[in-house]
Amino acid sequence: MLKVRQIGLAAVAAMAVTLTGCGSSAPQETADLAAEPEYSGTLSILTKFGGEPLESYFSDLASEYMQMHPDVQFELIQETDQSIKDKTKTLTASQALPDIYFTWAGDWAANFVDAGLAADLTPVIEPGTEWGDTFGEASLSAFQYDGKYYAVPLYNNGKFMGYNEKIFTELGIEPPTGFDELISACGTIRDAGYEPIAFGNKDGWPALHYLQQLFAYNVPQDTLQADFDPETATWEDEGYIRSLEQFSTLVTECTGSGADSNGVLYTTAQQALAEGRAAMYYQEILEFDTSAAEGTPLSKDGFGIFPLPVPAGAKGDPGAIEGSPEGYIINARSERAALAADFMEFVTESANASTLSAPPYGQPSAVVGAVTADSSSPSVVKGIEMVNDASSTVIWLDSVTVPDVADAWLAGGEALISGDSTPEEILSSVQAASEASK
Amino acid sequence: MTTNELTRGPVLPAPASGYRSRPAKKRRPGTSRISSLRALVWVLPAVLMLAVFVYLPLAQNFGFSVLEWDIYTGSQSFIGAENYRKMFADPVFWHALANNAWYSVISILFQVCGALVLAALVEGLRHDRWKQIFRVLYFIPSAISLTVAGLLFYFIYEPELGLLNAGLERLGLGDLTQSWLGQENTAIFAIIAMSQWQGFGYCTLLFAVALQRIPSELYEAASIDGVGPVRRFFSVSLPLVREMTGLMMIVTVSGAFQVFNEVMVMTTGGPNNSSQVLGTWLYRSGFVRNDFGYAAAIATAIFFITLSLALLQLWISRKRRVEW
Repeated sequence: MLKVRQIGLAAVAAMAVTLTGCGSSAPQETADLAAEPEYSGTLSILTKFGGEPLESYFSDLASEYMQMHPDVQFELIQETDQSIKDKTKTLTASQALPDIYFTWAGDWAANFVDAGLAADLTPVIEPGTEWGDTFGEASLSAFQYDGKYYAVPLYNNGKFMGYNEKIFTELGIEPPTGFDELISACGTIRDAGYEPIAFGNKDGWPALHYLQQLFAYNVPQDTLQADFDPETATWEDEGYIRSLEQFSTLVTECTGSGADSNGVLYTTAQQALAEGRAAMYYQEILEFDTSAAEGTPLSKDGFGIFPLPVPAGAKGDPGAIEGSPEGYIINARSERAALAADFMEFVTESANASTLSAPPYGQPSAVVGAVTADSSSPSVVKGIEMVNDASSTVIWLDSVTVPDVADAWLAGGEALISGDSTPEEILSSVQAASEASK
Repeated sequence: MTTNELTRGPVLPAPASGYRSRPAKKRRPGTSRISSLRALVWVLPAVLMLAVFVYLPLAQNFGFSVLEWDIYTGSQSFIGAENYRKMFADPVFWHALANNAWYSVISILFQVCGALVLAALVEGLRHDRWKQIFRVLYFIPSAISLTVAGLLFYFIYEPELGLLNAGLERLGLGDLTQSWLGQENTAIFAIIAMSQWQGFGYCTLLFAVALQRIPSELYEAASIDGVGPVRRFFSVSLPLVREMTGLMMIVTVSGAFQVFNEVMVMTTGGPNNSSQVLGTWLYRSGFVRNDFGYAAAIATAIFFITLSLALLQLWISRKRRVEW
């Protein structure tokens, strides 16, 4: 009996330890960015540049910085696009975020800002400051919350349809300017023995990229922005249903895998374009230099891009382009915030920005003038120009909405492709998720 | 009869001869307590390790399951059984539980029943060389990590370039080709099939060891009585490997409710959550939907399901223990 009582007490004690945190939050500290950096100590950085060819970018810059400041050491945590989500959340939950960490724009960054985990960079990076003026204003404002700037934009991004110029020329097809024209071109391409659009949705988000661009075209901008905010979201506009139907048509008429696309990796699709088996592949600017890497059949055939064509009668913004810059936050609780800011300023210096924009990295820097015909591939230059000229940009659907809504769209996109749900059923599940998250 | 009488056994009469049994060595007072303390010191590190790494996290997890936890601000608020109420109303949770149940039923069929039959067949071979060759052949898949096996099978199942669809086409069964991991009705079963391939050999090997421990005299006696191989399997082998069968059932069923790696690698629970299992839904709730309190509630459910299944099976296998 005594043992039972002792075990019971131990369990209660453990519970008590756990529950002592109820209602409390970690003490807030404010990073002093204005202070003169002390060039010593270890700077920890969580990057999204894990794996080749990106991995060497930050490690090379860290080595260079250490040569200038021998007392500074670096702890680089380099993750991939997929793994960085888990890593960031684990570090956040254990209150062990590094001095500098990667962020997407939208709801993802807002979580860190709201929780006081992002240093206010306004004094050093707002437009009008020496450092701030090196960036395009749109890139900076992607990380602006309540009038303050919270991240250093490292590179810009946008989504475009990449195509094989040789196949288009052979078949006498011009880059389509309307959605129906695209669907019609798919038939011609398929008849010639090519896969019109390579598509792989194993990870779920490739479908969301199509959907978000179609939402930007079909849903009035004010309605769309209101639906991104969990407080005002209703997701009732008929443009959503129309977008889902258009995407379904595209999957059926244009992709080789059709209803099987949920079992195909996006890299497999990318490879189909690179090898000249597919005529088109919808991709980010960041992927251009990989798709048309030197030595691939696509690099010989010629690689062109055009925005996803606008459907007739669309009620949204026909000049919108999906994409947003990605950047780095300085931890508000960092003891070396000033040093972290100094390092990020070094990372975004003109020469380093040009290196980032050039092959093999091919990440179009957010620094004005870094993406030029001399340093970057023609498709990257054209993509960035189109993003800069866009009447508006719209952030990725899975990072601009709250996680429950993003997850409902993700599952809905998959169900639409496999034919297991109708557009109405999908929108209904999104509305339910949105209601539940209020 | 008191407990003491039971432990002492029946009282025997004193021998008639002058023989006297050696008097029991008298223990010095306190010796028993010292040896008990000594034993406690020896087991203490293991108990501490268990407490810190198993029982404390278990208690903590239960604590988390009654909280709403914002990982960004670190704030935690007590919400009672709200996460459990949410769990019972969550259709994906029940779908994931059903997938785990399918996983365990199919695993019992293949990794327990099938592996036992296969082990009996292999052990029934006359030549040791063949026995060894088959054991190695069956065991090789188990030596491959689950993540690697998952990736391997992902490419086998790939709808356009995969080996499975290509094989079906060659056999004139093109109508059966499909996106095995991309369709809601096939995804979880494609994953379970891979898992059987991976775990089958290991179970066969364990059953082979259990079969080798059965005294050969029993088989010889059965042969003399004219018992055939099928009857020998059911009347001799099966009852005498019952403990191993019980153990394998526990391991297989517990494993089926803790499955995670292969689903994450092959489908991440999709499409449309059709291949979610409790482990991946827990992960998704915590790391994707930021609902760590709800994830802890799912973890508690997994713990109680596996614990009760293990206790039930232990009780059943103890009741039917056969000794020789």
